[in-house]
Amino acid sequence: MNRTRLIFFAFILLALIIIGVSLLIQQLSGNIPNPTAQPIQVRVVSALPIEPWVQDAAQKFNAEKHSLEGRTIVVTVTPMDSVTALGKWDRGEFTPVPTVWIPDSRYLVELVNATYSAKLGRDVFLTDGEYRARPLVTSLFSWGIYKSRAETLEKKFGKDNINWKTIHDAAIAKGGWPELGGEKAWGYFKLIVPNPRKNAAGLLAMVAAAGEYYDKTTITTEDVTNPQFQKWLKELMGSVTDFSSLSSYTVEDLALFGYSVGDGGQLLESDLLVNMGGIQTRWADPLVIVYPKYLTWFDFPFTIWMGTETSAVEKNAALQFEKFLLSAPIQSAAAARGFRPANTEVSISGAESLFVKWKDQGAKTLVPSTARMRAPDRETLQTLLRWFDLNVAK
Amino acid sequence: MKKKKISPPNQSIPCALLVILAVIGGIVAMMCGISTLVLFVSSPETTPTPTAATLELAYSPEKDALMQDLIARFHKANYKTPSGLPMKINATKMDAADIVEAARAGRFTAISPDSSLWLAQIDAGRERALVGEAARFAVTPIVIAMWSDVAQSLGYPQKPIGWQDLLAKAKSDANFKWSHPSTSSASGLLATLAEFYAGANKTRGLTEEDVKNRATLDYVGALEKTVRYYGEGEQATIDEVLKRGRSYLDAFVVSERMVVYFNGKSSQKIVAIYPVEGTLWQDHPLALLEQPGLTDEQRLTFRRFRDFLLSPEIQKVILQAGYRPVDLKLRLDDAASPIKTSNGVDPAQPQTTLQMPSATIIEIVQASWYLAKRPANIYLVADTSGSMGEQNKLTQAIDALDTFLDQVQGDRDRVGLVPFSSRVYNAIALQDIGAQRAMLKTQVRALKANGQTALLDAVQYAYDDLQKRGDRERINAIVVMTDGIENASSIKLSALTDKIKRGNASGVPVVIFCIGYGSDADWNVLNALADATGGFARRADPETIRKLYKILSTYF
Repeated sequence: MNRTRLIFFAFILLALIIIGVSLLIQQLSGNIPNPTAQPIQVRVVSALPIEPWVQDAAQKFNAEKHSLEGRTIVVTVTPMDSVTALGKWDRGEFTPVPTVWIPDSRYLVELVNATYSAKLGRDVFLTDGEYRARPLVTSLFSWGIYKSRAETLEKKFGKDNINWKTIHDAAIAKGGWPELGGEKAWGYFKLIVPNPRKNAAGLLAMVAAAGEYYDKTTITTEDVTNPQFQKWLKELMGSVTDFSSLSSYTVEDLALFGYSVGDGGQLLESDLLVNMGGIQTRWADPLVIVYPKYLTWFDFPFTIWMGTETSAVEKNAALQFEKFLLSAPIQSAAAARGFRPANTEVSISGAESLFVKWKDQGAKTLVPSTARMRAPDRETLQTLLRWFDLNVAK
Repeated sequence: MKKKKISPPNQSIPCALLVILAVIGGIVAMMCGISTLVLFVSSPETTPTPTAATLELAYSPEKDALMQDLIARFHKANYKTPSGLPMKINATKMDAADIVEAARAGRFTAISPDSSLWLAQIDAGRERALVGEAARFAVTPIVIAMWSDVAQSLGYPQKPIGWQDLLAKAKSDANFKWSHPSTSSASGLLATLAEFYAGANKTRGLTEEDVKNRATLDYVGALEKTVRYYGEGEQATIDEVLKRGRSYLDAFVVSERMVVYFNGKSSQKIVAIYPVEGTLWQDHPLALLEQPGLTDEQRLTFRRFRDFLLSPEIQKVILQAGYRPVDLKLRLDDAASPIKTSNGVDPAQPQTTLQMPSATIIEIVQASWYLAKRPANIYLVADTSGSMGEQNKLTQAIDALDTFLDQVQGDRDRVGLVPFSSRVYNAIALQDIGAQRAMLKTQVRALKANGQTALLDAVQYAYDDLQKRGDRERINAIVVMTDGIENASSIKLSALTDKIKRGNASGVPVVIFCIGYGSDADWNVLNALADATGGFARRADPETIRKLYKILSTYF
């Protein structure tokens, strides 16, 4: 071997050593992850009422270092109200596309599917099979009303007679609370309804009101375009003090601002139960829960995006997280936050249950047989939203 | 003889090439290695990019002290992004209405106005929402603050008092002095909304027709004539009442928190009246703005700061500052809580709120309020002495006057000009701005620097004219722009301020605002003139000049 070649090989060897050492350093410092050990990312977009529970569960899941095919699964959770998420799905604005969406209700999943069926000719969230949308927990809509106001309404309209029709009559009382038998200082009857453009609960409240107005469980476009119904609904919505409010957690509004902002409204049972203690701490008048005749609820379905942006391994990793969320310990944590678990092994009748704790305020573990409202079709919901924009928001 | 081996030409060239390639490869490899070593050794913690995780935050002025304290605590905690960048907040104090304008212009990545009603205004008419994640961290109701005996004279505490009682008192008693901030703050907007509701004889369902109705406008106009002054927000009002005592105002609209603040500093107590018709809440949101170019690091800083504000420790700080914390675990009836009757406030109040109209109606109310409030007589007193020719000062003053004349809205205000150097010259008497805006602008542009400074004579000239007119239907004001030390007047400062105080007590009240140019302005003189009338003296910084009319109009 001549001198030139020796020099050549010496340089090559030196270069290889330097590269090797630098790669080793990089590996140790974590700047360049080894592709074979790259974690599987599960990006979850979660509805706001359930997000704190999902966030806590994701932290536990990540800490336990669950893996699939030798790769760690990492779950990240982004809170987003379902109406905003719905708009983002419709406009294709998610970048990157979430692996999982947990909206408030199954009917929102159907709305997205309706949009994508028109574009792609197929559903993007499945309703059957292994990857189907599965409810994680449920939370019913119930009346949450300050006790002094509820008692006054019952005196006026009869016991157990708090419903959308009597609330409407209270809302249109020209003389305000004194006309209803209440105090002058209470002002007018003030209804709490979330802005349906910011919070799906607002849309559901209008659906529930329509159900009781027509005394039926299925609402159609024809029903919501009826001028008499629209007049009635406008009068009802006229008693809402503020649709520009920042908060999507309307029970939080009740707790923070008390009866000054709202005497009551049809709100998420879990929010009512969680905030009940806070309301009693902040305001002398406690809140009571009344279950309506026509029942609506959120079921928070775990839905996996079936588009090409999600790989098979990501879908399966998402399924692992779903299984984790449905496990008894995590479902118990959901029950502690006032949700009704989807896992039937988990009870809400225990001494620690919020349903038991607030029994005297009207909370019930078992709700008496009531009529269940059916989810209206997309066109009916869009008509209600358009009506809201033109008649209330403006 | 050993034959010398001669390498053939076709072998020697590749060898040379190999050496060159090896050297290049070696150098590249070394550079890669060295750069990696450098990256490893100099971690991001030691070389942060200072701006990537910095949040540009605008907040409303009434919580200035609290925000400065909270931001200092946040910075002290040394939070960092996962990539090691320090989380910083670059905060600017700004009127809530200005925050709306600045947010739309893309100036900030986060905002904290006094109420979330401004968030709706930011997004009004936009196809895509600019306001992103948001959370409120403190709340406080808006109240009418009154001296205890004034409240008692209206029936407090036995009888519930409302907007109608306040407005009736203001209309029936010429000596009753009350104030509310301009509509650029939530408390000012509420007071104005309450007037429109009262004028329309409603407490909810206020419509565009109601607001534009002649009878409503007349009612609001009559009431606005009873307002002593508007001021630059509720903190400025409280500071002024603390300074001047109870002779300054009988009642004023502020947040409940300001009542706690006042009573903590003054031996004379005020009480919070929660209007029986309803009030509004300041809910102090912290909102992220989805501006183009918002970085993930800024988003992380926003979330960290939000969580920091909502943490139990900081929520206690917020309660001690007189706000109601959003952490419901903190009791308002706790012994350490400042929300108690001994501080003039009642944690069980308010009982009811007024209905918040839509963003469109609010904009109409703001515009209608401007037309309903008292018009003004304004004298612009401009120093053109020789020293104003130095350092571009006269040019700056001319630009400021020009901008001011452009900003005078509508044709209702009357404006006059009093140029002076060794004496007053070429003065233009007060007239409706619509009739002489062009002439005033021409005259202003023709000002030349020359002579001495007869500042006090010029102020006296304008003041005498305003007193001679005796126009009580309008707010009377003098705006002085000067750089120099008084050296040519026939009247002395003490004689002039005495005359002004006497004149304001017996004749029409005139407010004097002084804008000082350069470093040699005599602040003793300017402050004395302003203090004698309840006005202000300020340096001519770009922000003051740009917003001169807007700032002054909060006093009109």
